Order: sequence, then C-alpha cells, then structure tokens
Amino acid sequence: MVGAAVGLFVFYFGLLASLLFFTSGKGLLEALVHPNTLFSIRLSLIAATMATFLAVLIGLPSAYALSRFEFMGKRILDTFLEIPIIMSPIALGASFLIFFNTPIGELIQTKGIFFVFEVPGIILAQFASIAGLATRLMKSSLDEISPRYEAVARSLGSSPWQAFYRITLPLSFKGLLASVILSWAKAVGEFGATVTLAGAMPGKTETMPIAIFTALSSANIEKAIVLILILVFLGLGTLYAVRLTGKKYRYD
Amino acid sequence: MIRIEGLTILLESFHLKDLNIYIEEGEFHFLLGPTGVGKTLILESIMGLHKPKKGNIWIGEKEVQGLPPEQREISYVPQDLALFPHLKLKENILYGIKAKNLDLQNYEEYVQALIQVMKIGHLLERYPANLSGGEKKRVALLRALAPKPKLLLLDEPLSGLDPSIKAEIQQLLKTLHASFYPTVLCVTHDFEDAYLLGDGITIFIDGRVEQVGKKEDVFLKPKSKKVAQFLGLKNLYRAKILRKEEPSQRLILGVNGLQFSVPKSLYQDKIEVGSEIDLFIRPEEVMIIREGKPVKDSLKRNIFEGEILDITDRGRYHVVYFQTKIGKIPFEISIPNYTFRNLYLSIGKMVKVALREESLWMMT
Repeated sequence: MVGAAVGLFVFYFGLLASLLFFTSGKGLLEALVHPNTLFSIRLSLIAATMATFLAVLIGLPSAYALSRFEFMGKRILDTFLEIPIIMSPIALGASFLIFFNTPIGELIQTKGIFFVFEVPGIILAQFASIAGLATRLMKSSLDEISPRYEAVARSLGSSPWQAFYRITLPLSFKGLLASVILSWAKAVGEFGATVTLAGAMPGKTETMPIAIFTALSSANIEKAIVLILILVFLGLGTLYAVRLTGKKYRYD
Repeated sequence: MIRIEGLTILLESFHLKDLNIYIEEGEFHFLLGPTGVGKTLILESIMGLHKPKKGNIWIGEKEVQGLPPEQREISYVPQDLALFPHLKLKENILYGIKAKNLDLQNYEEYVQALIQVMKIGHLLERYPANLSGGEKKRVALLRALAPKPKLLLLDEPLSGLDPSIKAEIQQLLKTLHASFYPTVLCVTHDFEDAYLLGDGITIFIDGRVEQVGKKEDVFLKPKSKKVAQFLGLKNLYRAKILRKEEPSQRLILGVNGLQFSVPKSLYQDKIEVGSEIDLFIRPEEVMIIREGKPVKDSLKRNIFEGEILDITDRGRYHVVYFQTKIGKIPFEISIPNYTFRNLYLSIGKMVKVALREESLWMMT
C-alpha cells in the first residue's frame, strides 16, 4: 500500500519534472517577460480575486443561512450548489452564452455590462464555477461552530449581527479563510467556462490556463511551461496556506 | 414574578400544549421531566430563540414575548456551557455588560462579589481551554449573572458530572442563590437535584404539566401515578376501596386480599366504594417492628406479617425486599444502617412491618 502511494508520488513528480526537459533558462525567462504572458498573469490574479470576492459576498450569507436555519427549499438549494461542481465547465460556459442571447440576457448586455468576450465574462464564469463550492466549504466551517455560542451571546444582549462578528466569525475564521483560498485557487485554474464565455483574445481575455492552451496550439512550448510552472507554484502555495490555516488555534 | 403562560410548541417531533410556569422573584424553580421531552426547546422559546406557536411571557408587568432575545434580560447557561473559546475569562464574564452597553462602573462591585463567591479570581486572564469542568461551570454561571438578568435559565446544570464535581457545583449553586437571589428556572430530569436545590417544582411529562408545587409536596404527595413513576417511587399499589368506617372516619382498602386502613382525610377526591385508586408509601416510611418493643398507636392499624426475600447494601442504607404472607404484596423498605444493625435481619426471616398511616398517599 505504501508502494502504491510512492508510485503515485513518482507519477506526479515525474510529470512535473518532464516540464524541464524541453527548456533552457533563457527561453523561459524570455517567455515570462513577454507582455502577453505578464498580462495573462495579472488578468488571472485580478479576475480570480474579484470572482472570489463576489463568491464570498454572496456565499457567506448563504452559507450562514444553510448552516443555521431551516427554510423551505433548503434541500433543493443545497443540491443546486453542487451543479457547478459536477457540471462540465464548458457546459457552464455554453449555458452563459445561450443565456446572453435570450431577451433578458441581451437586455443585461445592452443596458448594463458586456460579458460575452469581455473581462467581466471571465469574472462571471469564474464566479459561477466557484460560488457553489465556496458556499459549501464555508457552510461546513460554520457547521463546526455550535449555534449554542450565538444563543448565549444573544441572551447576553448581542444582536444577531453582533453575535456573528464577535463570536461565530472569529471562531470559524480559519475555516472560512481556507475556503476562500481554495475557491480562489479554483478560480485561477478555471478554463472551460471562461474560454467559452470570454474567448481567448491575447492581451484582452486570455487568462493563464487559456494562455497555456493557445501557447500549445501555436507550439510555443516555453510559454506553456512558464505558465504551467506558475500555476503549479500558485497551487502549492495555496495548499501550504490552507495547511497553515488548518493548524488548530490553541487558546491558551 | 415571572409568568410563562400557554406556551405551545407544535413541531413534527415535539408537541407541547399550554405550558404554564410561575416563578416568584428570587425563587429557584425547577422544570422537571424525563429526558428527551424538549426541555431545551422550552428554554429556547422562553429566551426568544425559538418562536413558539403560542404563549406569553411576562417579566414582572412587562410582556417580553414580542422581543428578540437580546432585549429580554434572560440569561442562559446551556448544558455544554458554550464559553467563548477565543475570549479570556474576564472578557467572557464581561461580555453581557459590554454587549448591553451597561456602565461597567455600576457593576464592578457586584461582579467582584460574584468572582469571589465563585473563587475564580486567579483565572481571569486565562482562556477557557484547559479549565477543569468545575471551573468552566463557575465561569458560565458568572457570565450569565453578571448583567443582572431578570431570569436565569439553567439547562441540566448537574447532569453528566463526576460525583465529586457534582457535589461541588450543587454547593456552589446553593451558595450562589443564597448570596444573590437570582430568579432561576432550571430544567433537569434528576429529581434529586430538584429536591436539593429547588423551591418550587413544575413536573412535566408527555408534553403537559402533571404537578406544580413545593418540593416536599411533590415528593411526598405525587398527584398521579405518572408523577410517582417518574420520581422512581417504589411501593405503588392499585387498591380497591372496600368500605368506609364511619365512626372512625377511615377507609378500608384492599390490595390482593391484604387490607389497609387509611384516614379518610388523606383522600381529597370523592370517595366511591368499589372504585380503584393508587396507593403509595415511601420506602423510608415502612418500619420493621422489633420483637418485644411496644408499637405506637399510629402504626397499629397497618401491621403486616411476611418474609424477607432479599437485602441489598446501598452504602448509607440497606434496602430490604419484603413480601406479605397474605396477598404476596412486595414492599421495598429502606433502613438507615444504624437501625439495620439492631434489627438482625436475614433473608428468609419472618418479620412484621408497620406503615405510618400519615405517610400513606392515595391518588387516582
């Protein structure tokens, strides 16, 4: 059994090591400082951060409601949160494209914000693919905090909001933070929905995963490798950050 | 005076209809009922965390039913205490005073007195983790009392504790109540706790109040068989009223051929010869007669002969299982050790027992 685990490690490690086979340091550096590469890095980080911000803004109250209250349709809502998790990203993106061709979708685009093949489209696609997950993760962090704490805080004179930010929020903070980091990482890596809704225009809507795809199709191996490595390090950094938050606070 | 009237909770899993509880100011009142009858839900309704179907709560003359929990001035100590783990004990204790924006200066002296009674002065800068169970309980009580609530709700404060800690907390609650007179409503399933600490008791079984009264009354005079059984009372018999003896104002009751003589005054309801009632006597009130000793008048009318079937040693007292010769009626008799030693009892021995007639209790 340990052998299988070691094998799995060798499998992944070998996969990453193979990246270095085709490359020279100079070529990589050149690919890295290319304006389009830098643009996709910046775009990815900004879009993912915005999408995560929105997902928390809407997901946290939803998570709280799902964790604390019983209401009609709670089960259905809970199931729906899984849709972006099980749905193929390209199907999600395609659904958006179709939606923006309906009268309501067109109205939103003409009177409000343009999403199709625009940067807001990236944020929307990423938001759609992580909001369910973020809500789910935050809900389980909140589930770990007994509602009894808030009950006591309420009896001692706190309003619901005060009880939340003085008691539940600090107690669940690490779990919530880990949820946010994981959601952000998933947003950074999102490809299918983003490329379908926002397209792959270099210097405009080309995020890192999309840039990897276009670099490969134009046989720009070095650019692909640079971006892959950046994504890998971002991913590892994320995992490390989550691991750090996972360390239990000792209040003594 | 706290009045809880007509509290009605209708959930799929739990039905409660028209619960009334009255608590005098400064009273330590117990809501006593079997476990798993929704006592926590009742507390949450009183606090305002759960919206009951119906019911009113008055604190003095003020109706609080429409108010959210934070405006009710009702403190709550849950069974799991829920000390805030990220706050120092001092911050835990002062939480209520701060949350209610009260002037800390006006409470300083009172809180200091509480801290002294609770003996936790040396712990104030610590966090709740790693406190002993007893210390945690003290802090939770203190936190609840600090903002001077009009009513303190305690959820099973003595269950699930080690015997030594339990005794400590019992003593603490007693001292606390004697020093500060908080008005307390305590839910528990343990009659012993209620008896030890309570003033008044509301007994609550199967979603309805079975009996309300001073603890001694409930203990000696359960109103129904349900209450008697819940209290774990032994020596409960189904008896038939055989006849009235008018000159002596007594009732003669029959249990399986054995006859009991009971003063009529003990029975409040209408007496009908031929009807059946429940007859009950506490195990401490059954006396084994020592041979050759004179018997008091009040014991003379109910003397039964029988055999000792078994004896168990319960530490501070012995329980003797006795069966009458006539009717084979079993009695559980508890005897303090010093008396037990003088009686020279053994299994199989034939003895006579006497019932103190004022200790007999009848109910329909």
